[in-house]
Amino acid sequence: MKRSGRVAVLLLVLPFGTASAQGYTARVDVRGQAVDFRGVQLDSVAVGSVITGPTGGPISPDSIAVTCLAGATFCQFYRPGPRREAVPVTTGIDLTMWGLGMSGLSLHGNGRLFADFGDNNAWPGSVPAGQLLEAYAQYDSKGFIGRLGRQTFSSRLGFTGFDGAWLLLERLPANLQLGGYVGLGLADGVALPITSAALNPFNEFQPSERQLVAGGNLNWITPVAEARLDYQREVDRDTRNFVSERAALSATVRPWRRVSLSGGTEYDFSYGWWGTSDVTASYTEPRLGLSAGARHYRPYFNLWTIWGAFSPVPYNAVNGSVSLRPIPKLEVRARGERYWFENTETETPLVNEQDNGWRWSAGATYQLAARLQVDGGFATDFGPGASSQTWSGRVGYDPRENLRLSLDLGTLKRPLEFRFSDANLDWVGVRADWQVMGNLQLGVGAIRYSEDRNRPDNAAFSWDQTRIDFRVTYSMSSGTEWAPLPPARRLKTDR
Amino acid sequence: MMITALLVAATIIAQPDTGFDHQVHARFFPLCSTCHAGVTESRASLWPAPASCAQCHDGKIQPAVRWQPRLGPSPTNLRFSHADHLAVYRRTKPETNRPTCSDCHTPAGASWMTVRRTVSRQCLECHGITADHFAAPDTACATCHMPLATVAGFTREDVARFKAPPSHKDPAFASGGHGKLAQPPTENGRSFAIAPSCATCHARDFCITCHVNAPETRTIQGLGPDPRSLAIPATFEAPASHTAADFLTTHGKESRRSTQACQTCHTRESCLTCHNGQPDLAKAMFTAGPGRGPGAQLTRHAPITHTAYWDEQHADMARSRARNCLGCHTRTQCLDCHRPNPGDATGYHAVGFLTRHPAAAYAREADCSNCHNNQQFCASCHQQSGLVSSGQLNPGYHDANRFFGAGHGQAARQSLETCVACHSERDCLQCHSAVAGRSFDPHGPGFDADKLRKRNPQMCSGCHGQAIPGK
Repeated sequence: MKRSGRVAVLLLVLPFGTASAQGYTARVDVRGQAVDFRGVQLDSVAVGSVITGPTGGPISPDSIAVTCLAGATFCQFYRPGPRREAVPVTTGIDLTMWGLGMSGLSLHGNGRLFADFGDNNAWPGSVPAGQLLEAYAQYDSKGFIGRLGRQTFSSRLGFTGFDGAWLLLERLPANLQLGGYVGLGLADGVALPITSAALNPFNEFQPSERQLVAGGNLNWITPVAEARLDYQREVDRDTRNFVSERAALSATVRPWRRVSLSGGTEYDFSYGWWGTSDVTASYTEPRLGLSAGARHYRPYFNLWTIWGAFSPVPYNAVNGSVSLRPIPKLEVRARGERYWFENTETETPLVNEQDNGWRWSAGATYQLAARLQVDGGFATDFGPGASSQTWSGRVGYDPRENLRLSLDLGTLKRPLEFRFSDANLDWVGVRADWQVMGNLQLGVGAIRYSEDRNRPDNAAFSWDQTRIDFRVTYSMSSGTEWAPLPPARRLKTDR
Repeated sequence: MMITALLVAATIIAQPDTGFDHQVHARFFPLCSTCHAGVTESRASLWPAPASCAQCHDGKIQPAVRWQPRLGPSPTNLRFSHADHLAVYRRTKPETNRPTCSDCHTPAGASWMTVRRTVSRQCLECHGITADHFAAPDTACATCHMPLATVAGFTREDVARFKAPPSHKDPAFASGGHGKLAQPPTENGRSFAIAPSCATCHARDFCITCHVNAPETRTIQGLGPDPRSLAIPATFEAPASHTAADFLTTHGKESRRSTQACQTCHTRESCLTCHNGQPDLAKAMFTAGPGRGPGAQLTRHAPITHTAYWDEQHADMARSRARNCLGCHTRTQCLDCHRPNPGDATGYHAVGFLTRHPAAAYAREADCSNCHNNQQFCASCHQQSGLVSSGQLNPGYHDANRFFGAGHGQAARQSLETCVACHSERDCLQCHSAVAGRSFDPHGPGFDADKLRKRNPQMCSGCHGQAIPGK
């Protein structure tokens, strides 16, 4: 076990041995699934073996379209790849402790252990075997909060993880709050340092040391408005070069009851350009939610990669959504977005590619009876690279208050723009979620996927499979301080 | 025969529910005390002995009857005592020779032995109360009625038949009006623990049905315990404030202002149905247990801001008012989505997303990097799927466009995050490097070499080696 893994286990286990008379809440969560996936496999055939196919193009002897470069002795093609079977099982432990002899002091830990009982850790995220998502001590006093340890920090610049210290002064004059943090950063979107081998599947350049991350934020909060200014920089400790330097401004105003205007923007000092920005107007009442907005999306790359020098262009979009409850038992929803990429300055008469697109979805949830609910939705998108159309539905039935059964059905089509691979997928699945007792939840599901990857040659393949999954969640606490909470996210069929 | 049948039927119809038809026997009894000696003589029984009925109803002269005097406590909650009333009259109005039995038990003008139960109006009149029965002042109730908990003769069914007074129909009665009415009155030095009007029909068990703060409420403790009081159904009625559209967002402030009001119906557990941890306000609430009501049973509801698309719109609120979120959510719930669990089959995305994800990823319908690391999540899976280059650019994958290689620039600049899920930097440097490649310039709109060079010249050297332009 690597050092980070040992630290993770230590931080999670240590409190149990030292805090016999303290308040605590803990959740142990075991989840697993059995899933297949299938891709392609590069192959080649000698130029002399290539034959002409029925449509006039070159094909391999087993009728797969090949690509032959001028002067090359071999032509290349991609045949259906092997099935990859993955059985990732995760054990998650979440612990909070307080009553440590100092009012306001608490300890928090959240870690996961992974094992993949399938093909060579085929499922993404299964390595390394342990991950410490958070482990910090928090001191929460009137006027400020401080944290020390591994933690995540959410700002407009991302959901950042780091090992270090964070402080927020909450009661400054003029409704202001001031926060700051400094530490050794984790990689984007994962609780691993950038030096982890798991983050270098292509064996590319990888920093030898973790970056130093520091930032601050100034918040202004009133009952009708709030604004937040963020600044963050990351520095390569080896070369002292910047890894990133960005700032962001976000604000929300509620000029009238039920109406809000929110938006924000990012600025990347390294590239000297404005990053993702958006503005949204919302109207919300118990039976109606409306939103309309505009968005400017620009991908972000740090300076450890060369990708930013390739000038990724942003797109601009307008969007809107509505959710309506015309009668108490029925909720309908719809949303849509239209977007246009900015000029890439790469036009060539040889290739005509999409530079704009749209996506929209609609769905409805109806309470057929007190314990019976149906949900259906349609989602479609059309744009560069790929498109899709999805019909899906779910029937939920609660035979008992602590038991939920559901049936999922759906079908989708997904053509690609740059490759002949029109996927057709149909599925039907069942699942059961059972609150066995106050602190024990069980879940089990099975779903049958029928998927065809259609092509006009023999590289087409079927990929039918049955996926099963399970979940066991056990919660403990020193008292009634914490009740098991239902999932925070709403399950929708048209996501 | 028909006449006999009609007479029998008429007799049955006229027979009062006491089992004894006084009027039929009117000519046999000149005095009430013949049978009800106990009214005037405290040692005698209020009821006649069955043997005295059998003097006529012996089965020969008249059919035998099997009447028995009532045993056990009287099924009434009246404090009434014939002897006391007579004694008071004889002491205060000796000249009147009143009252007689007919004064109370015979309607005005009715013939001898037309007997009925006393009606409350008569009590009120004698006691000088001009209001209606249910509108009588609280202290007047105790004059005639005993508290339910001290009444031995009532069954649950008797209690269930109690009629609710008009005050109970007041819309504000449940939400607070009844508490004011229950406050103990004081009159002429008499003191009460609770309004006698409440105690007449209710007991502590009834209040505990709703009141979480029963042990702390003096008026409720002023009632005796009595499970028969549960025969009257009690229903929770949320106060009008709870139906306001923004109640979920304002109830925290309200509860700080009037914690005691919340304690009436809510337990700590009802707070924790939605809130996690031990928020200060929850700590101030009582926990459910013996002697307390279970409190309002709540269902977790999302605030109205949490519309169907809230999961995609929550970021601004979560960043600026994180404490608000932590009222009901744990950080673990944030991490459940923002740090996806490989063992979780029911994640953020809908069923079938694995097949659909190219469409979402190419056009970046969301910022995938908020939750996924490109290298760990995208690249490693694509590598398992054979969707990565193997050290050199292999033609053939993007086969839907014959000239994709020559015209890939637009796709790359539009969806570069997608490209890097399959392509390494080395792939691109085969052509775009100024040192080892074909020197195709990759820089496009918005590129500012000076800015980049100042912040990280190492990045430039990836393509330019040591000969970084402008350095």
